[in-house]
Amino acid sequence: MFDVLDRQHSVARPGYNRWLVPPAALAIHLCIGQVYGFSVFKLPMTKLLGITHSVPGDWTQSQLAVIFSVAIFFLGLSAALFGKWVEREGPRKAMFAAASCFGGGFLVASLGVELHQLWLVYFGYGVLGGIGLGIGYISPVSTLVKWFPDRPGMATGMAIMGFGGGAMIGSPLAVMLMKFYSTPTSVGVVETMLTMGTIYFLFMMFGVFTVRVPTEGWKPVGYVPPTEARALVTTANVTADNAWKTRSFWLLWVILCFNVTAGIGILEQASPMIQEMLLVPAATKGIDPANTVAMAQATAPLAAVAGGFVGLLSLFNMLGRFFWSSISDYIGRKNVYFIYLLLGPLLYFMIPLTGRMGNTALFVGVCVLILTMYGGGFATIPAYLRDLFGTMQVGAIHGRLITSWSVAGVLGPFLVNGIRDYQIAHGAIGVERYAPTMYLMCGLLLIAALCNYLVGPVDSKYHVRDTGYAPNFEPQLKEK
Amino acid sequence: MTMMPRSSREPMPTPPERSVGRLVFAWLFVSLPLAWGVVQTLIKSMALFH
Repeated sequence: MFDVLDRQHSVARPGYNRWLVPPAALAIHLCIGQVYGFSVFKLPMTKLLGITHSVPGDWTQSQLAVIFSVAIFFLGLSAALFGKWVEREGPRKAMFAAASCFGGGFLVASLGVELHQLWLVYFGYGVLGGIGLGIGYISPVSTLVKWFPDRPGMATGMAIMGFGGGAMIGSPLAVMLMKFYSTPTSVGVVETMLTMGTIYFLFMMFGVFTVRVPTEGWKPVGYVPPTEARALVTTANVTADNAWKTRSFWLLWVILCFNVTAGIGILEQASPMIQEMLLVPAATKGIDPANTVAMAQATAPLAAVAGGFVGLLSLFNMLGRFFWSSISDYIGRKNVYFIYLLLGPLLYFMIPLTGRMGNTALFVGVCVLILTMYGGGFATIPAYLRDLFGTMQVGAIHGRLITSWSVAGVLGPFLVNGIRDYQIAHGAIGVERYAPTMYLMCGLLLIAALCNYLVGPVDSKYHVRDTGYAPNFEPQLKEK
Repeated sequence: MTMMPRSSREPMPTPPERSVGRLVFAWLFVSLPLAWGVVQTLIKSMALFH
C-alpha cells in the first residue's frame, strides 16, 4: 500500500520540471514553520477551564512554554537520528512521515487539551510534532541539492525560507480559527488544533506527491559539473558517519549555534526591548512617573506597536533566508558567513547606540538586517555542507548539524533572559537592560567568525571511494 | 512514412511529463497562503509606522 512512497517510485520521468521540487519542499516547510507561531495558543490554553480568565487548575504560561522547547529539542534529535533513514528511503516517504507526525501531533495535542492532560499535549505537539519537524526539515534538502547542482544555495534557501514564513501563516490562521470556534463554554483550542492538524496534513501531502528524485547522473541542460575541486567545493563525497569526525563539521556546528543564539538575543526580547528602549521613553516624555493613570494611558497602545515590530522581524527573517543563500551561490558560502559574522557584531554593537540616540527608525533598520542574517545562517548551511561533504548524504549531515539549533534554543533564551533579569535586579533601566546581552552576542559572533576562518577542505581520507550517487549503497572508505 | 512494427520485447518509451500546468498550479498552491501570511504580517507591522 505504501509502495508509492518508496524512492524508486518517485524517480522523475523525462520532462519533469525541476522547478516543481521547490514548491514541494515549501509545502512541507510552510507547515512545519508553524512551530514559531505556537505562542498564539499559550494565552487561550491558560483559560481552558475559566474561559474568560485563568482559574485554579488551569495551566500556567511557564508550563505551556515547555511545549515549544520539547518540540525544538525533538526537532534536533530526530533530524540527527533519522537523517540516514531519510537519505535511504527518499524524500517522499520522509515527507509522508513528517506529515503524519506533525499533523498527528496536532490531533494528539487536541485530545490532551480536551481531556486536560498536559502530558498528552507535551507528547502530541512536543514529541510527535517535534519528530515531524525534524524529519520534515531535512526531507527536501538532499533532493534540492541534487536537482540544483548549479544553484544549491538558492534552492535550499527557498525551502528553508518556508520555515521562516510558516509562522506568518500559522499564527493568524490559529487566531482566526479560535475566534471562529470559541463559544461561551470553550476557547476553541481543541477544534482549532483538529482543523490545523488536518489542513497541515493535507497541505503536506501535496509535497509528498509532487516531489521527485532525479535519475542517476542527471544534470541540468547546459550545466557542466566542475571536474576539479575548488578550495572549498569538493567533487568527492563524505558519509554522515564520517562527516562528524571532521574538524570542519564541528566548526560549522559552532558557527550555526552561535549565529542562532545571537538571533535569539533579538527575537526572544524584541517586544520588551523596543518598548523599554525607545517607545516608552518617547511616549512618556514629560509625564510625571507618579501619575500612574497618565503613564498607563500613554503606554497602552505600545504593545500593539511592538507586535508590529515582531511581525516585521519575522518577515525579514524569511526574506533573508532566500536572499543570502542565493547570494552565496555567487560569492561563496565562506564569504557569506563572513558577512554574517563580521557585519553582525557591528550591528549588535549599534543597537544600544540607537537606543541611546532614541532613533527608532535606525533601531528597526539594524534589527531587521540582523534578522535577515539570522535566517540566512539557517538557509546557507545546507549548501555549505554540500560544498564540503558532497551531495551523497548531505541531508543526513545537515540533520546532525542542526542539533546545534537545539542547543542554541536552550542556550539563547537562558543567556538572554538571565542577563536581563540580572540587569533588572541591579536597577538597570531602558537601554542598559539590554546592552550587555548585545555585547555578549558581538563576542559570540566574533568567535563564530574565527571558526569560519578555520573551516577548510575535508581530508581525503574521509572521502568515499565510489563518488557515484547510490543511495542504498553502503559506501566504502578510501583506504588510508 | 510507414510505421515500424514494435517488437514485443521493446520497452514502451516513458511519455515525457507535461508539467507547465502543474508548475503554475504548484507555485500558486504554496504562494497564495504565503502571500496571505505576508499581508497579515504587514498589516500588523503597520502599527509600527503610525
